[in-house]
Amino acid sequence: MLTHSSRASLCHPVQDQPQKQSNRMLWLGLAFMLLAILSNLLYFLKIPAALLPWVNLTLPILALVFLLIGLVRAFRQPQIYKGKIWGSVVTVLAVLLVAASTLFFVGARKLPSSGGAPQVGQRVPDFTLPDSTGQPTTLAQLFSASASTGAPPPKAVLLVFYRGYW
Amino acid sequence: MRGIQDRLPEFAAQGVRPVAISVDAPEVSENLRKKQGYTFTFLSDPETEAIRHYDLLHKAAGPEEHDISRPAEFLVDRSGIVRWENFTEDLRVRPRAQQMLQSAQSLHW
Repeated sequence: MLTHSSRASLCHPVQDQPQKQSNRMLWLGLAFMLLAILSNLLYFLKIPAALLPWVNLTLPILALVFLLIGLVRAFRQPQIYKGKIWGSVVTVLAVLLVAASTLFFVGARKLPSSGGAPQVGQRVPDFTLPDSTGQPTTLAQLFSASASTGAPPPKAVLLVFYRGYW
Repeated sequence: MRGIQDRLPEFAAQGVRPVAISVDAPEVSENLRKKQGYTFTFLSDPETEAIRHYDLLHKAAGPEEHDISRPAEFLVDRSGIVRWENFTEDLRVRPRAQQMLQSAQSLHW
């Protein structure tokens, strides 16, 4: 009896292994990856966007950090943590996402310095440019009353330079 | 552009006339205006004359390495003086029409 029970207790850990835990860090990393991808849609919402590029950059990096922690656990303690295979696959995707996000981030900020642009308080250069009907238009003319709509002359003109739609 | 069009009455109420400027040919801008229903003025600067004078030239940033304008906004009063301006650091970030209206509102003409 005694032998049997001691034998049983000795065998217990082998026969009835503790259940493998799900690898929380991997799941957290996956969640952050999805958030990172979704965060690119935020530009279409009407929210102040100045911080958004940083969010777009930080989320994939956080995702990668969580995934790497999860992956180290899965490989060092495979008896406890799951996810060696799917964790590896998702981590490779996360590396690609971080690379793409970094390229986007750097590319979107590659802008000329425009140090010689007119500053607040300075006079802007005059110009004569055709409008969309081909009519040459000067800055001064933009300040005149509209003959077509009868609108009064504007107090200010908002010049919006844009990249063009080609 | 959409935001400006949607808030044109508010711009008009403040005496502000929005004007868009790019390297697009007049026909291209006219197409865009018709398609999108934009009613404010679009100016064409294909030779990047004004764009260079305003130091906004973004070299080879357009298709086929064409020079284009970087995004920038200037609020200019009747005497031609800049009262407010904005240069984005990131192409994905542009001022909202709401922000430009608020900037105009905070100025005392």
